[in-house]
Amino acid sequence: MAARVLQQCVRSLGRPSLRLCPVNLALRAAVAPAVTVHRPFSFAADSRRTRWLGQSRISSVGLLCRQYGDLPPLTLETIKDRVLYVLKLYDKINPEKVTSHFMKDLGLDSLDQVEIIMAMEDEFGFEIPDAEAEKLMTPEEIVQYIADKKDVYE
Amino acid sequence: MMAASTRSQVISLYKMMLKESSRFPSYNYRTYALRRVRDAFRANRDVEDPKAVERLMEEGEQMLALIQRQVSIGKMYEAQRTVVDAP
Repeated sequence: MAARVLQQCVRSLGRPSLRLCPVNLALRAAVAPAVTVHRPFSFAADSRRTRWLGQSRISSVGLLCRQYGDLPPLTLETIKDRVLYVLKLYDKINPEKVTSHFMKDLGLDSLDQVEIIMAMEDEFGFEIPDAEAEKLMTPEEIVQYIADKKDVYE
Repeated sequence: MMAASTRSQVISLYKMMLKESSRFPSYNYRTYALRRVRDAFRANRDVEDPKAVERLMEEGEQMLALIQRQVSIGKMYEAQRTVVDAP
């Protein structure tokens, strides 16, 4: 039965519908990091319901991907959002000015930069060696570095 | 600022101490260790004399070993987890 549900999902993904609901996509994209495990079940249930209603819509972020329990695929957009989110949570950074150089514009020092890089390591789940970590001075550079390491390109 | 030759050593000591401190199972020890490490490094930020820097680094290494030992002991005798403790 799970196989049949998954087949329906894949078929509904392959048929892009003109009645795409942009609100739902935005909601799902926002909620993506938190509910990755529940996603296969939730959009499986959704796609079955919508089939019965005679509509079909793409109920994922638009990429044809299997999500049996793996994390959602990284894109430059999602990496950037997560990096900025972590930076906004940091006490010493003013949330409005968050996209500038750490040392020159925001007045942080190297100890703060170490803490920021550690927060990034926790967020993305992989180690960043010290030699490369001390060169990352703006959010842009962090996004580029993570995209390099995770083979994300567009 | 700290001496240029040992700057990266200080940075890596800071990082290792923060990492070890965040492994404490007990909320109290963990928050205290993190706060204390941050405050100590920030207070000694402007020390110029290389001998003083050297002495502080040695003290830091000993503290790092202490934190590592206490983390292992804490993990051996873990108390009931409360809501506050990290998973």
